Amino acid sequence: MPSLHEWQRAFSAAAVFNDAAALASLRIVAGGMKPEARIGIYRANVLGNYRKALAATYPVIKRLVGAPFFDAASDNFVRGHPSTRGDINRYGADFSEFLGTYPPARDLKYLPDVALLEWAIDQANIARDAASFDFAALASVPAKLHGELRFSLHPSAHLIVSTFPILHIWQANQPSCGADEHIDLDEGDDALLVLRRPSDVGGIAIERISQAEHLLLATLAAGRTLDEAANRCAAMAPEFDLAAALQRHVAGNTIVAFRAPVVPASESGT
Amino acid sequence: MPASTALPVSAGIGLRSPHVARVRAERPLVGWLEVHSENYFVEGGPAIAALEAIRRDYPISLHGVGLSLGSADALDAKHLGRLKHLVSRIDPGAVSEHLCWSHVDGRHLNDLLPLPFTEEALALVCDRVDAVQSALGRTLLVENVSAYVRFDDDAMSEWDFVAAVTCRTGCKLLFDVNNIYVNAINHGFDASAYLAAIPADAVAEIHLAGFDASGDCLIDTHGTRVAPPVWELYRATVARFGPKPTLIEWDTDIPPLEILLDEAAQAQIILETCDAIAA
Repeated sequence: MPSLHEWQRAFSAAAVFNDAAALASLRIVAGGMKPEARIGIYRANVLGNYRKALAATYPVIKRLVGAPFFDAASDNFVRGHPSTRGDINRYGADFSEFLGTYPPARDLKYLPDVALLEWAIDQANIARDAASFDFAALASVPAKLHGELRFSLHPSAHLIVSTFPILHIWQANQPSCGADEHIDLDEGDDALLVLRRPSDVGGIAIERISQAEHLLLATLAAGRTLDEAANRCAAMAPEFDLAAALQRHVAGNTIVAFRAPVVPASESGT
Repeated sequence: MPASTALPVSAGIGLRSPHVARVRAERPLVGWLEVHSENYFVEGGPAIAALEAIRRDYPISLHGVGLSLGSADALDAKHLGRLKHLVSRIDPGAVSEHLCWSHVDGRHLNDLLPLPFTEEALALVCDRVDAVQSALGRTLLVENVSAYVRFDDDAMSEWDFVAAVTCRTGCKLLFDVNNIYVNAINHGFDASAYLAAIPADAVAEIHLAGFDASGDCLIDTHGTRVAPPVWELYRATVARFGPKPTLIEWDTDIPPLEILLDEAAQAQIILETCDAIAA
């Protein structure tokens, strides 16, 4: 008799990978129904659960490719990318990467980026809540230190760039939309900010932002100082109004906190 | 250890996302609610905020589907940590898990997979139940699952296995009457023998749900009303173990809230009218 560990390994191989030798080693009681049919119930349940979970996270991908294509992609994905958590809701972090290498999706170049957007929306929904920006604390930071401030984004904020118009694709494939809108894949790049709205409003906002705004937020999110972010933005887009962008993103809850540099006691004045 | 359940001895319903907004707004008359623990393994956002709001008006049972008490792999410490955090946040009336396994070599299958009823599996499950009860500092409720396979290597019946888990660990049972009926049909045993083998004081909660048929096999889909023979077995269960908090579960093709409340009302009538004959 195999150990429980060996036996569970065989069950997984039989249920997920149709492994006939593994199935035989389980010594399933037939009793009116063949072992193949019995393990097949588990295969259908397991693969079906992942199809449902991925469809819940990636509804636009499913609508773009259709249910049969999506289900086949899901089954393939599951076999190569095992779930690593007991919580199926969070399954599918690398579905975008998978779609980029899945041969049947070869011609659908925009799919991986649309999947990235859907994953960001899913993550934004469950991210930590954050206290609102502490303006009084900011007012107490001496102006000469402003350039050294490090701002942090709301935990739900995600930044996405794509060479495809993924926001347009996403919007045109919402449940309420007709299926026949033509989208020109060359209509322009997208830089997007995904952010959970305050709880009294609800929902997830997806906003198209400028490349310079994207650079600003990405630089701040990476923990760089305001000066560093300003220099990078100025180099990329000299006309960019950093102060206005900063103000807008603080007011809009994209930026929720800051860290001021530690001032040595000898310089603190009082 | 605190009491195994602070759920009222009445009928409750499984709360799933399509009904959260209405339950929160309308506060329907039902004794308690049960949610899948994993659906609230989140750091923030609207789902957990809604559950916390609902918790102010209803006792909540946290029902886990992914801890995998029967895996030969080590217990998933991160999963247990998330559960513990959720328990501290919600202060549930009961915490339950399934008598099954769902991961091997780190691959999660995210399904309630059947254990072979061997001494090795029994010893492992009991160790895991002990570990979880100790980590949570409370009595765990363990649920019997539906199965579509049995194994030549089984060394005991399902009911002997289930009874041994509760006797050895002190855990209580979440007695799923639908699963017992499904297994009785699928594996050809007499459900009354199952009831008789379970210690009279072991049951702390009861589940009711609907099944579907696939060929010769009944499948535990939670997608229909409770079937008449399952109501019959429920009456026998209440007669044997006394009235217990009873949940209507519905997970696929989720119907309007009214249907769930109607099923719960039927369970409530049985709870109020069945005379317990348990010692």
